[in-house]
Amino acid sequence: MEHELLHGLSSAEADEVLALGERITVPSGGSLFQLGDPADRLFLTQRGRIRLTLPMMVRGREEDILIEEKSPGETVGWSAMVPPYRFTLSATAPLETEVIALPREALCAFCDSSPAVGYKVGMNLAILVGQRLQLVQAMWLREMQRTVELRAAGVGDAR
Amino acid sequence: MDMLLMGLCVTFIGVAFTALAFVAATRPTSSVPVTQPQPPAVKAAAAPARFFSDDAAAPSIALPPQVPIEVLLHQIENHVRLEQAAAESFVAFPTQAQLHSKTTSPFVN
Repeated sequence: MEHELLHGLSSAEADEVLALGERITVPSGGSLFQLGDPADRLFLTQRGRIRLTLPMMVRGREEDILIEEKSPGETVGWSAMVPPYRFTLSATAPLETEVIALPREALCAFCDSSPAVGYKVGMNLAILVGQRLQLVQAMWLREMQRTVELRAAGVGDAR
Repeated sequence: MDMLLMGLCVTFIGVAFTALAFVAATRPTSSVPVTQPQPPAVKAAAAPARFFSDDAAAPSIALPPQVPIEVLLHQIENHVRLEQAAAESFVAFPTQAQLHSKTTSPFVN
């Protein structure tokens, strides 16, 4: 399986990077990390699925709302590579899921020692972050548009 | 004289008949207060029925608070998925129409 973070690497290079990690099996319903936790590991989904959620108040109760779902080959937890190294979402497994946990320090050290690999990994990471940014930006603008339309229609002005 | 007495009798009978007619006419009106409360009573009885029927008609508006939390969460989740798909379409092919395209989510319709 090709991991999006390792796209463009030779299989030998990819194996070297994967060897830095530790395989973790998250049981069904288990948590990989929680919002606000220190982020020192990046996760490559190997099998199963990861739900990324954010807490939202629904009828006075805090509920975890699904923001994104990650499938095998996709990367979870790039907050581990971006200061202040805190997870900004919670990750849980809706079914038994296997991930490869790459420690930030080991990955950075490997990229330092092998700049060509580091460049490709860095570019792949930039693509992931950029795609997320574009997506969130579009979703935010769609919500803003609706808010403006509702305001223009007078909804909520009576308050 | 006889004619006068006859006229008086006829007049008296007429007055008596009118009085009886009046009594007969006023009797139903006196019984109306007895029967009249009934229509309000019927109305009063009907009022709750209308209230309930209004209440039964209202669920389409008052439904959201009564929707089970699991259903509501499912709707929110579905909304996020639809919005994400719409945003992905926009990112893949950015146009103004794509950006403001409407999804089938109940939260935006």
